[in-house]
Amino acid sequence: MVVIRDIIITGLLLGGIFALVSVGLSLQYGVGRVMNVAHGEFIMIGSFVTFWLFGSTIHLDPLVSILITAPLTFVIGWILHATLFRRLMDTSPTLDVFEGKSMLASFGLLYVVQNIARIIWGSQNYQVMYLNRTVTGAQIPLNRLVALGVVIVIGVVFYIFLARTRMGKAIRASSQDPTTAGLMGVNINSVLAVCFGLGVAMAGIAGSLLSTLYAIQTSMGLQYTVIAMIVVVLGGLGSVSGAMIGGVVLGIVSQIVTYFQPTWTLIAYYLVFILLLLVRPKGIMGK
Amino acid sequence: MLEIEGLSTGYGRVQVLWDLCLKVEEGEFVALVGANGAGKTTLLKTISGVIKPWSGSITFLGKRIDTLHANDIVDLGLSHIPEGRKLFTDMSIKENLEMGAYPKRTWKERRETMKWVFSLFPRLEERAGQLARTLSGGEQQMLAMGRGLMSKPRLVIIDEPSNGLAPRVVSEVFDILGSLHKEGITILLVEQNVRQTLATADRAYVLENGRIALQGSCTFLRESDHVRKAYLGL
Repeated sequence: MVVIRDIIITGLLLGGIFALVSVGLSLQYGVGRVMNVAHGEFIMIGSFVTFWLFGSTIHLDPLVSILITAPLTFVIGWILHATLFRRLMDTSPTLDVFEGKSMLASFGLLYVVQNIARIIWGSQNYQVMYLNRTVTGAQIPLNRLVALGVVIVIGVVFYIFLARTRMGKAIRASSQDPTTAGLMGVNINSVLAVCFGLGVAMAGIAGSLLSTLYAIQTSMGLQYTVIAMIVVVLGGLGSVSGAMIGGVVLGIVSQIVTYFQPTWTLIAYYLVFILLLLVRPKGIMGK
Repeated sequence: MLEIEGLSTGYGRVQVLWDLCLKVEEGEFVALVGANGAGKTTLLKTISGVIKPWSGSITFLGKRIDTLHANDIVDLGLSHIPEGRKLFTDMSIKENLEMGAYPKRTWKERRETMKWVFSLFPRLEERAGQLARTLSGGEQQMLAMGRGLMSKPRLVIIDEPSNGLAPRVVSEVFDILGSLHKEGITILLVEQNVRQTLATADRAYVLENGRIALQGSCTFLRESDHVRKAYLGL
């Protein structure tokens, strides 16, 4: 029983991070149809900005650094959409063509961002030592608990934003029917840029949190892109709540496999992925 | 109020509308009838900015709108209620109505406007919290119309509101259009239900193969041999 309890707890802790890593990608694809292969690179940027601020003379608390990484990555994402992706969209005859183009463009972006980071930070591992102790009684590291708390807060704030605000409603309407949203007066280009910015900002926040949990290196992005893609397909392409659930499911799967054979986790991810595509190709929350 | 001159447009290389001219005066109830594929929906989409014209001009309240985006056109007071309702089915009825009031000018007054819309469509108020997908066909059309009114338009262009509805509900839709017209809203209606349309509107255009084939008062068109044969089955 204790084993099952621990698997569920650690699975939830990991799943929360997976969910945060994936929600941003889901938002970018669901509303904007951008297949952003460079998603993980923005996680890397978040991690390194937090690391840099933590190691600098101001020794900024990693949690507080989210207040810097989130707006910074939002602006990067907003600018990328307003320049690169909007132009690609305008020159694509259909959304399907745009999807392909966006994937190729973000693939290029992946290398540009990663190599700039490598010039600055090299390719060695770094770690942010933060709250690296366990909570009394259970064997749960405090930093993981704090990370899950931040994920939950962000999830709730984001949910309220989508449910209650004018921009949030415009995002939901645009994801269902962009043309009709335009007839309602929604400037679809600005909604898409905001969505892309929010997606990148979530990657940045996830990066800040991840830097307190694992060693970071400039090549770390791709593994998170892969996890995010699995989770997004698992949850249902473009479904934000699906990405949340998918993240938790994958987190628990990962911990069950780790308990028996840690080296098999990646294999397990892909097995779950393939099984799901066979049984329910539209994902958990897909329509 | 709305003036269209020499309008041509289409999709890709396929031309749909040919050198089309059309005029709607303030306070009028104008209908546009024609067979499937005549270009009626294309014309409405071009007016509301969803499709860009190839040539010609569209003027609304004295302002050229043919180069504007759809979201700027609705802000000027021109509301397009699209074919097939196009509701946001995963949002509640209240949220659908709120989306109709999206332009900044009308967003602030959305609560008062919603009261007015509920007075026109009392059934929507009873179901305000329900998801739009749970409504019946008739109720969905009422919601689409209510949503289109939330931007407090001066001109409403409405595409096939009777499509797929039971005869009793169709009469209800036409009654509502009539009462909106009485409230001072100018209407451009696209319909396949020619009989009821010619009985409700003031004036009509007959669109055939992307060109205006005939126009005039509805009384005149009801007597025309061509309309009687081709559209009224007489």
